[in-house]
Amino acid sequence: MDITVRLRCIWLAVCAASTLTIILLSGSVRAGISDNVKYKKLPNGLQALVLENHKAPVATLNVFYRVGSRNETFGETGISHLCEHLMFRGTKKYGPEEFSKIIAENGGEDNAFTSADYTDYFEIINREHLEVAFSLEADRMASFAPKGFDSEKAVVMEERRLRTEDSPQEALEEQVQAAAFTAHPYHWPVIGWMHDIQGLTLQDALKYHAIYYSPQNALVVAVGDFDAAKVMKQIEELFGALANGPKPPPVTEVEPPQQGERQVTLRHAANLPAFAEAFHAPHYRNGSDAFALEIAGEVLGDGKSSRLYKDLVIDKQMVVDVGVEYDMTSFDPSLFWIAAQMRPGVKAADVMAEVDRQLDMLGNQSAAPEELQKAKNLEEAAFVFGQDSIFREAQLLGVYQMLGDYHLVDQYLGGVDKVTAADVQRVIKRYLVKPNRTVGTLVPTGLLPHEAGGGAAGAVHHSLPPGAERILHALGSKPEPVLMPMSSIEAPR
Amino acid sequence: MRRRLEKAARAVLAAISIVVLSVSASHALEIKRSKLGNGAVLLVSEQHQLPMVSIAIAFDAGSRRDPAGKEGLAELTAASLEQGTKQLNVAEFNQKIDFMGSSISISADRDYVYASMTSLKKYENNTLHLLAQSLEGPGLRDSDIVRKRGDQVAAIKASEEEPGYTAMVAFAKLLFGNGPYGHPTEGFADTVAKLTPDDVRNFYHRFYRTGGAVIAVAGDVNLGTIRPRIEQELARLAGTVPAQAEPAAPRVAPGIHADLVDRNVVQANMILGCGGIARSNPDYYKVQVMNYILGGGGFSSRLMKEVRSRAGLAYSIDSVFSAGKFPGAFAVVLQTKNQSAQEALKLIIAQMQNIQNQPVSDSELASARKYLIGSFPLRLDRQSQIVSFMLQVELYGLGLDYAERYPKLIGGVTKLDVQETAQKYLRPDALDLVAVANQSVAKINTAALSPPATARR
Repeated sequence: MDITVRLRCIWLAVCAASTLTIILLSGSVRAGISDNVKYKKLPNGLQALVLENHKAPVATLNVFYRVGSRNETFGETGISHLCEHLMFRGTKKYGPEEFSKIIAENGGEDNAFTSADYTDYFEIINREHLEVAFSLEADRMASFAPKGFDSEKAVVMEERRLRTEDSPQEALEEQVQAAAFTAHPYHWPVIGWMHDIQGLTLQDALKYHAIYYSPQNALVVAVGDFDAAKVMKQIEELFGALANGPKPPPVTEVEPPQQGERQVTLRHAANLPAFAEAFHAPHYRNGSDAFALEIAGEVLGDGKSSRLYKDLVIDKQMVVDVGVEYDMTSFDPSLFWIAAQMRPGVKAADVMAEVDRQLDMLGNQSAAPEELQKAKNLEEAAFVFGQDSIFREAQLLGVYQMLGDYHLVDQYLGGVDKVTAADVQRVIKRYLVKPNRTVGTLVPTGLLPHEAGGGAAGAVHHSLPPGAERILHALGSKPEPVLMPMSSIEAPR
Repeated sequence: MRRRLEKAARAVLAAISIVVLSVSASHALEIKRSKLGNGAVLLVSEQHQLPMVSIAIAFDAGSRRDPAGKEGLAELTAASLEQGTKQLNVAEFNQKIDFMGSSISISADRDYVYASMTSLKKYENNTLHLLAQSLEGPGLRDSDIVRKRGDQVAAIKASEEEPGYTAMVAFAKLLFGNGPYGHPTEGFADTVAKLTPDDVRNFYHRFYRTGGAVIAVAGDVNLGTIRPRIEQELARLAGTVPAQAEPAAPRVAPGIHADLVDRNVVQANMILGCGGIARSNPDYYKVQVMNYILGGGGFSSRLMKEVRSRAGLAYSIDSVFSAGKFPGAFAVVLQTKNQSAQEALKLIIAQMQNIQNQPVSDSELASARKYLIGSFPLRLDRQSQIVSFMLQVELYGLGLDYAERYPKLIGGVTKLDVQETAQKYLRPDALDLVAVANQSVAKINTAALSPPATARR
């Protein structure tokens, strides 16, 4: 049960002194991939996508529900994520955690994560046993009856302590996000505010499930080594008879345009200063601007030859790492992020001035053709590499279908390819400008308890923190036969 | 002329053992193994579904080779090799890699250094050439090494902000002391700061040798073309590395030996454990099954059930045996709010005793076996996983028939094996504990946690 964490990649990179190669999945799939997808909408409204992929004897199932923290309201933040946890705590038929136990006994792995926009439950399993996963998923859609509510709520509060409260970068990001969005529900963190989580009741969760966990609000995506027609039939048999609850209310909030720079400061237990800048940005519906921002993001921050990495990490040696993050596939317009953690003795203000200079340069001078081509090549390669995982393939198809049409997946590389140097200049000048920016600065207060400030006493919080993944690896926790660090499934429950 | 080449090709093929591992009834993972002229072992698995290639080379140059007082040297050497070649400065080198959308990474873990690449098929040769050049003809310029040294120190400072990282470093130190596994791969801020460019160049010349190295290739390649290319690209690193003696086992003394690190945090980040096993230990598979039931099996494990699901004390808790070239650690890793640290520790120790004192149930044993055997193919899905698998098979001498033997190795473990293994390797009466916590709130009382010493096998 994780939360999609925007800057996860950069902080992961920061914490790994040894270089972990992180391939950013930039939301693209090869031209023509959707041609082989079978799509069906069942009479009860449930949508299904099925794709054969025979490279390994494995299948993956994703059940997406169109519900995330975006659907919440003030005072009950975190209910989507808590509901996700409770989905593992039993149904009328099964006891708590029996779901995961049955999947494991069938040689499979399961988990789920919640984002601002949607919740994704998934299983990766020996293809022989895919039907087990289908029937368990159908069961918990229809007969949700969680046991042990209080202890699961306590677990979620521990999760918040782990992810946010004891993690300076996550805590900073949360503050910036909250300042950048004032009216839209992207204001609050996916995990919710601590006090809100504490106040949630089993009744709240049951009510929430009844509204959002019904066939009309669900999308089933199966990819793997199977016969697609047969699998589609299984989906129809297992999900086709499920009844709908009330229709989920639409999300109607619109974030008003930002009229000037906003600044937040966070004092937190830390060694090094850090900052995170967030600019309001368009999403997929404004295609040409969104694609140009994807390319701007590549030029600025993807790879060791990118402008910000080369300038700040290699040439000037001012930062531990710098990250740029933009995802055009959010349901509502979201943010373009630039964040960095300073080297000891470097002032955040000096690095922010350098970032400003780089943005000015990219806005005022046309990027060289080779640089633009490099950005597009990086996107193309990441696209192909992404297909090496059937899990990622399923995820991409699911996300695009929730945005309206899985065929969009095939338009991504084409859209990126059309971007010109003038487009990049235009979007830099339009979006990556001060009046549209929220700046968060982390003021480190030291790591010891007697030192002032810090520690966000009772503050909030992310799934396995970047550190933990690494620690577990260092200790060799990965089961057979994995040896080297692998970008594993993000967001364990 | 042509005939002679064909003959040569046949001779090469004759020396290559081809083993087909059946991953399932319909899928087989074909691995071709051969020895190269430079002394390295080459493993190739042709995967033609996607136009991409993944290669990794393992050198016997991990951080266990760091000399005392120079902790972090293996990692700094690996990182410095990524900073350009004799012909290309770092900017030119990075530019070429990024333009192809490829990735190249050279990094150390405690046992080995892995030099790896991923590229589109169309850039396979150019990427391999850059990787080989960074190994055979690295720049290793003073300015680049000094810069990477600064990066490493800064990254350590940054990691120290994570309570989990601090706990891991303290635990390794507590358990292994000055042994080869007693320090983190990246070293300590003060030891790294003192490393010199000459240290790096000496380490490179001594340990980057293809004798004993393993090269694994998975992807859209042909053995016939990739083999001679690798032979040619990596011909100049021949030679072997001196063997390293296995360190003495960690001392075992009754009671709980704690390092309580005081930090301004809301959660206690704790690691509790003792000495573990090497990968070559014949009990490895029994340990896998036992640990799955105890704490390695996610929601199927006892620790998760007790500490998370029942008591709601932690979001994440698990136990691991980190089996390396040398015996690693057994460790339970968890985070809980400061106030519940003592309570969580009690629950963990009780579970360690329980699995020693009572046989596990039939269903627990069956579940563990079914998962461990059934999930095997899941970890051979992506190219990077296949590469890892091949490296592991070769580095730890598991044999090319490992995938076939694995179900038998796991399936043969009995309830008695599990209990005896728990008695042999768990030490609830003699544990090392690290807690990074706000100590005045956590109030950990180690004396109250120590169970009486038990009779040991």
